[in-house]
Amino acid sequence: MEDDPTDFSREPKVPADDVIAEQPNIASNPPTFENQVEQAVQAQASAVANQHQVATQSQHSPMAEAAVSQFQRVQTQAAQAFRPLTNSVWSKLDRKATAVTEFTLRQYRTKNSTWVVLGIGMVFVAMILMFYGEAMSSGFDSVDNDGDSHDYDGDGYPTGQERIYGTNPWDENSHPDPELVAPDPPEKWIDEDGIDWDGDYSNPNQGYDDDGDCTGAGWVDSQSFELPVNQDTNRDGIDCNVRYTMNSTTKTIYLIKADPSVDEDPDDEEFLKESLHRAFVLGFGKIGFAFLIGIFVPLFLATGLVRDEMERGTLHYIMGKPIARAEILAYRLLGYIALVWPYATVLILLTATVTGFLAPSDSIFRFHDLSAWLGVLLASWLMMLAYGTIFCTLGVISPRFGLWIAIGFGVWEFAMAMISLGAPNFPLTWLSVSHWGIEIINCTSVLAYPDQSYLIEIASMNDDWGSEAALAGFYSPPSVVAGSPFASLLISIFVLALFTIFALFIGQSSLKRKELN
Amino acid sequence: MIPDLSQVGTAETQEWAPVAEAPHIMLDHVTKTYGSVMGLNDVSIAIKGGVTGILGQNGAGKSTLFKLIVGRLQPSSGNVHLFGTNPFKNPAPYSRIGYVSESEHLYDWMTGLDFVATLARLYGYTRDEAKEKALHVLDFVGLSDVANKEIGKYSKGMRQRVKIAHALVNEPDLIILDEPLAGCDPLARTTIMNVVRELGATGKTVLVSSHILSEIERITEQIMILHNGRLLALGNLHAIRELLDKHPHRILLRTDDPRGLGTAFLPHKDVYGVRFPNSDELVVETNNLSSVHQALPSICHQSGIRVTAIENPDDNLESLLGYLIEGRS
Repeated sequence: MEDDPTDFSREPKVPADDVIAEQPNIASNPPTFENQVEQAVQAQASAVANQHQVATQSQHSPMAEAAVSQFQRVQTQAAQAFRPLTNSVWSKLDRKATAVTEFTLRQYRTKNSTWVVLGIGMVFVAMILMFYGEAMSSGFDSVDNDGDSHDYDGDGYPTGQERIYGTNPWDENSHPDPELVAPDPPEKWIDEDGIDWDGDYSNPNQGYDDDGDCTGAGWVDSQSFELPVNQDTNRDGIDCNVRYTMNSTTKTIYLIKADPSVDEDPDDEEFLKESLHRAFVLGFGKIGFAFLIGIFVPLFLATGLVRDEMERGTLHYIMGKPIARAEILAYRLLGYIALVWPYATVLILLTATVTGFLAPSDSIFRFHDLSAWLGVLLASWLMMLAYGTIFCTLGVISPRFGLWIAIGFGVWEFAMAMISLGAPNFPLTWLSVSHWGIEIINCTSVLAYPDQSYLIEIASMNDDWGSEAALAGFYSPPSVVAGSPFASLLISIFVLALFTIFALFIGQSSLKRKELN
Repeated sequence: MIPDLSQVGTAETQEWAPVAEAPHIMLDHVTKTYGSVMGLNDVSIAIKGGVTGILGQNGAGKSTLFKLIVGRLQPSSGNVHLFGTNPFKNPAPYSRIGYVSESEHLYDWMTGLDFVATLARLYGYTRDEAKEKALHVLDFVGLSDVANKEIGKYSKGMRQRVKIAHALVNEPDLIILDEPLAGCDPLARTTIMNVVRELGATGKTVLVSSHILSEIERITEQIMILHNGRLLALGNLHAIRELLDKHPHRILLRTDDPRGLGTAFLPHKDVYGVRFPNSDELVVETNNLSSVHQALPSICHQSGIRVTAIENPDDNLESLLGYLIEGRS
């Protein structure tokens, strides 16, 4: 720091150009950038040549020394001449970025509104998690869908067991010999015919009659009157199977039609919990994280990023520095991102962990939800970025009405989110941020749960559950590129990035033209 | 994060490099209107070197002038050049200026050191460089003992000084101070005035505005007077004073016996009247202020009447403006 503004004992600062003028060898050229660069290059070349000479002569040459020192002088002068350019663009870009970002973060820390907004989000998530835990820990009564666990005639043998042995389940005196066959407990005949689906979307012939009450397999009397008369009610030419009408490209199941008494008594609790759990992951991911937190946090934290500074009259402290206005907007947003992305990550990881332990699973922790939660995380990050940029830009464009326009925009986004849930192909929703965020979750949820539409169809087969409404309401297959969740995912990310860049561009050009009164 | 490179360095049409010969500030027929309100009216100036005092009443256009110079505002017509480039389009010359706004708002939650160091980092200094420089300038403005205190707890004078410190941290060639003395106590005023004088003594270009003539007088001789957005006068304060001296002028003396003292003044050739506004006050009216001032001590001494105070009620901006406007019409 040879130029100390406050060191008053030194000589007044001499402009760099005058210094150059004092150098006799370069005084002939006007001190332009090009000349200085040329001189620097020449000096370097001569210095290298001299050094080479020194090496060959292997002795100290005063000429080389002079050339080197001359080179260093010119280099210093050139650096000085380039100061404005290098200072403001390349070499110091990251320093300014970190300075503004850090400042923004520290400013957030001092504002009560930050803590209130983040705290409300935290409480909201905690409450939803408590409801979820309550739902998962309470058991569901398993339903005996086919009624064969009942002992209608009161002889001690459940109907299913009596059918196997060919005795009359309606006749008290007709039952297997108690000395040879002990009566089954009724629970054995509940949930005994589970759904057998091999997950193959190209195979319409599915299903297996586990308890044999369609095929009569294993029954003593294979021509029992208890067997169905027509074993192919779904008319696919195969007896005792389940016919799946599916689209193997989009992995969508349209219809499941079972022959009588096939796959008719699955484990209700397993399916109900699974379906409720997935409805929770999708519903909370889409509405809770991506939409509600994704829009309210930016609304309160990003709208005032530049606007508040403009209103308070403190923006000039930052803008009076050699930093482009457009950069200030970008770095302020960077500070916002540095706050809200970790926040969203913490909330989503917390939810993923809690639900991972509580969700129905074979192991202690349910890992295969994680990719769905990663999708939620990705969606919420991108939506927070897009909304934040849009709201910040609205604040710049109209400091007075920006917040109201932002709220109006939020209402539009809410409407589009609701439409996207029900009708993802409705073209108007493509103009909203929320549609693309929800689409990201759709794509990743298909990757996490490839049997999603199957579960929904199964749920609607057993219409006494009522939970299919929840899952079906929150799930829709990727709609941008049908049948390709990866392509849909990439397009959604791209579109959200496009929204962000567009909003940033508008905000930057608006800020560039703003007068700071 | 897309830095807009078109705005930096190679801005707009011309390449920017510090041109040694260019005036630091050049305004070419600059007019600034706020709707129908005239902020600045056809002002043309070129300034380089020295301390220049900008005098003007509230609303005269001082702050507007400064905001145009530092690129906070765009002129409605005319051109503003800061180191030869348009400051509204190109932030590059900001690296050579320090600007103290009239705004009273600061980041109250930051400490003085934080404030100066954080903003210093926007000049591209590293964290350590910025801190070192911040400590240095805070010491220079006399705030080193409260550097780690929050700005919210600062007094008015300290707040002004921390603003000045932040403007000096980049070793600027041009320093612009908008009403740096407003609301400060006498001690703070003196400190700030010394700071400004010292800055001027190092050969930097300093612009300082005020609406109080005596304050400017203690800082610099080179003044610029703005009135209703117009540039009224530009030049040496003494030259303007010389003109003023020939103008009807009043001297107010506070004394126990105004009538006795008035009698003693009347024989002086340049005194054309005396008045007694209060029982302990005497007003001497003259056409030649300096000659009466020269004779004043001997008259008082000879009369033997105790004088407790001498004031120049006309020695303020209002009477200066009144004279200048009258003289022009």
